[in-house]
Amino acid sequence: MHTKRKKDKVYYHQILLLIVILRMMVGLTYLPVSKISPANQDSWIVLLMSIPYTIIFCLPLLYLSNKFNEYNLLEVSERIMGKFFGRIIAVFYSITFFIFAAFFSSVFVEILDSSLFRRTPTIVSVSILLVTCAYIVNKGLTNMARLVEIIVPIILLVFFILAILAYDNYDFTVLLPILSDSTFTEINAGAINIGLRYMDILVIAMIVPNLDVKTNVNKIFIRALIYSIFIIILASIVVQATFGIEYVKRINFPYFTFARLISIGEAQGFDALYISSWILGHIIKISAYIYFTSVALGKVANRRNQKFTIPIAIAILIIVLLIKDRRPVVAVDEPIQQIMMTVSVSSIIVVPSIISIVYLFRKKNLKNINKSMRQ
Amino acid sequence: MRNKVILLIACSILMAFLAGCFDARELDDLGISLVIGVDLQDNRILVTAEVVDPSVSAQENEVGSDGSVKYVQGTGGNIFEALRDITLKFDRRIYLSHNKVIIFGEDFAKKDVVLYMDELFRDREQRETVYILIAKGSKAYEVMGINSGLEELPADYVHRLIKNIEFNPKTVDTNIAEYLKYYYNLGQHPVVGVVERRQRRDIDKSEQKTGTRETELSVLGSAIFKGDSLAGYLNGNDTKSYNFIIDNIQVSPITFPSPLSYEETGKKLVQNEERLSSISIIRNRTKNDVEIRGDRLILKTEVNIRGTLREVIGDIDVSKEENLKKMEEACSKTVEEGIKLAVEKVQKEYELDIFGFGLVFHRKYPEQWEKIKENWDQIFADADFQIDVKTHIIRTGLINKPLAR
Repeated sequence: MHTKRKKDKVYYHQILLLIVILRMMVGLTYLPVSKISPANQDSWIVLLMSIPYTIIFCLPLLYLSNKFNEYNLLEVSERIMGKFFGRIIAVFYSITFFIFAAFFSSVFVEILDSSLFRRTPTIVSVSILLVTCAYIVNKGLTNMARLVEIIVPIILLVFFILAILAYDNYDFTVLLPILSDSTFTEINAGAINIGLRYMDILVIAMIVPNLDVKTNVNKIFIRALIYSIFIIILASIVVQATFGIEYVKRINFPYFTFARLISIGEAQGFDALYISSWILGHIIKISAYIYFTSVALGKVANRRNQKFTIPIAIAILIIVLLIKDRRPVVAVDEPIQQIMMTVSVSSIIVVPSIISIVYLFRKKNLKNINKSMRQ
Repeated sequence: MRNKVILLIACSILMAFLAGCFDARELDDLGISLVIGVDLQDNRILVTAEVVDPSVSAQENEVGSDGSVKYVQGTGGNIFEALRDITLKFDRRIYLSHNKVIIFGEDFAKKDVVLYMDELFRDREQRETVYILIAKGSKAYEVMGINSGLEELPADYVHRLIKNIEFNPKTVDTNIAEYLKYYYNLGQHPVVGVVERRQRRDIDKSEQKTGTRETELSVLGSAIFKGDSLAGYLNGNDTKSYNFIIDNIQVSPITFPSPLSYEETGKKLVQNEERLSSISIIRNRTKNDVEIRGDRLILKTEVNIRGTLREVIGDIDVSKEENLKKMEEACSKTVEEGIKLAVEKVQKEYELDIFGFGLVFHRKYPEQWEKIKENWDQIFADADFQIDVKTHIIRTGLINKPLAR
């Protein structure tokens, strides 16, 4: 296993970019902060306030990742909780990652249907997506990390270019007056809601043993959190400054509609730039979650994770077909958004907290866990 | 080698899908619409579309002959149904992605416009940058199909007229996204452009031209909306003043009565109402403010104009500093009076804040705003208005003294 990890080594900046893009894609897709309480000119404050909440929510996971940085979350839970419960937790995280992958695949198809391929059957668009993702996952973590290194700067560049090109559409007065239309409670409720959506922290917990310098966990977490929040703040500000506060609440894909409004002279169609970079970002995101689902399933079944890639892709295909051809995923809140929130809270806070508490109780017995496992 | 073959096969299979066959919309299947008009007829929606006829080449199409477009109409309970109704009479589906202007007939504009605009925002085909115009005093289809400009197509002609706000702010260029933005703003009502059909003087007396182009379009003025219904109109000068207040002035002319020279009037500004001079604005900055003084609300506007002299008619030597100052004062006075008149008219006739003073009030007095926001229009209508205009003439052109001096 250690030899494989040496082979699958990933670097600090690669993981940083990966987490930034995973988080940023949520903002670039449906910008939840524009609809979450208080959903007004104070949204950027909500995002800033979400930073401490996110840190608090992720503390158990961070604690475990720092304490047992030679092992991923599933291995740690097995050591602490025992084989039986460890396996149950591995099953839980397999389902969690699978749900994330299936959800983001559904979102991918939804925006693609709305923006480009209105009449393309879901099976075609999702098949192309999953074939691409399965191929990326099959190439392993190192290659995925290298791909991230190439793609993420392109997405960031497009994001900033669009924000600059839309300069003429901005009316920043809509962002004033701050803190006048929302209460402290509303802002905090919004910040907590945003903090609870930081499911991408799980990537760190799963990837920490593959890091070249394992002590970088906190640095990656904080930097990824701050960078991604600032990018989403920028997205939120430009979108609100373009459409006004109320109109944004009614838009399903705000950054896409924002890109549609950009025109230079008679030239329009800059949304094509957005869509192409967005597709790249989503492919990375879905590939990452398929990869972690396969790792979790590999742990459950005690087999090589690559063996699960294609079955997972097929299962996602079926799920997406079942979901997407019945209801919109982003446009209709219930029940998918609620399911996502429940899964997110359980996987980021509840389960890691239980593992941490058990560890604290069994600390003496597990005192030399790192040492013994290394042997 | 084996891998390369597999890759090649995979790419070939993917190419079939990536070509976008499912959503292929061939040019000869589409009726590309450039302008649509929306009217009410017997309580149903009547959509008129100006569709490009690609079979007529640019060489065949004489300027202004409109041979390269066709007009089609459909009716329905909503815009979508009306658009699809067209397919029962016209051989192509109306494709809205290239639509540049939507014209609402006056009757339709008096109804719930936003209610019926849903289709235009929900479907991705229509871009949010499309301009809105109101057909003043007529149906939308009555102002369509007129091309009295140099553009080949009537759509391009009307589109150009809207774009000409850059040179003359007596019109408004509101697109559907901006309309919706203002519609949701509690402190500012939407204002959109208008279009009117007018008789034009037939100057070309040649036999083949006589009577061919006796009408033209005019986008002079603007239409005020209360929420989503047309409330009334502003004339050209009031629209210009509106543009001054919302700081939407670019290269605009200001014409004002020429002042008499200081030699004749001493230090007092006396304007000669019969002789008009003009400046062209290079840059304009407007700042709006509100102030509560006792139980009165004061609306304040500060306009800073930088311009170049374009025409001096009158006996005034602009090479002298004091005379240039008088020109500046005269220009400021005219702009001030124009803006005052426009604000007064909107306050008295419409009682609707179209200038965005509500947003300024919201920013400055957020707590009071919460209490009064539902009655803001009434408060706006009763408020006092203060205006301060400063003009700086920074260029005088290629000559100094007027030619007639």
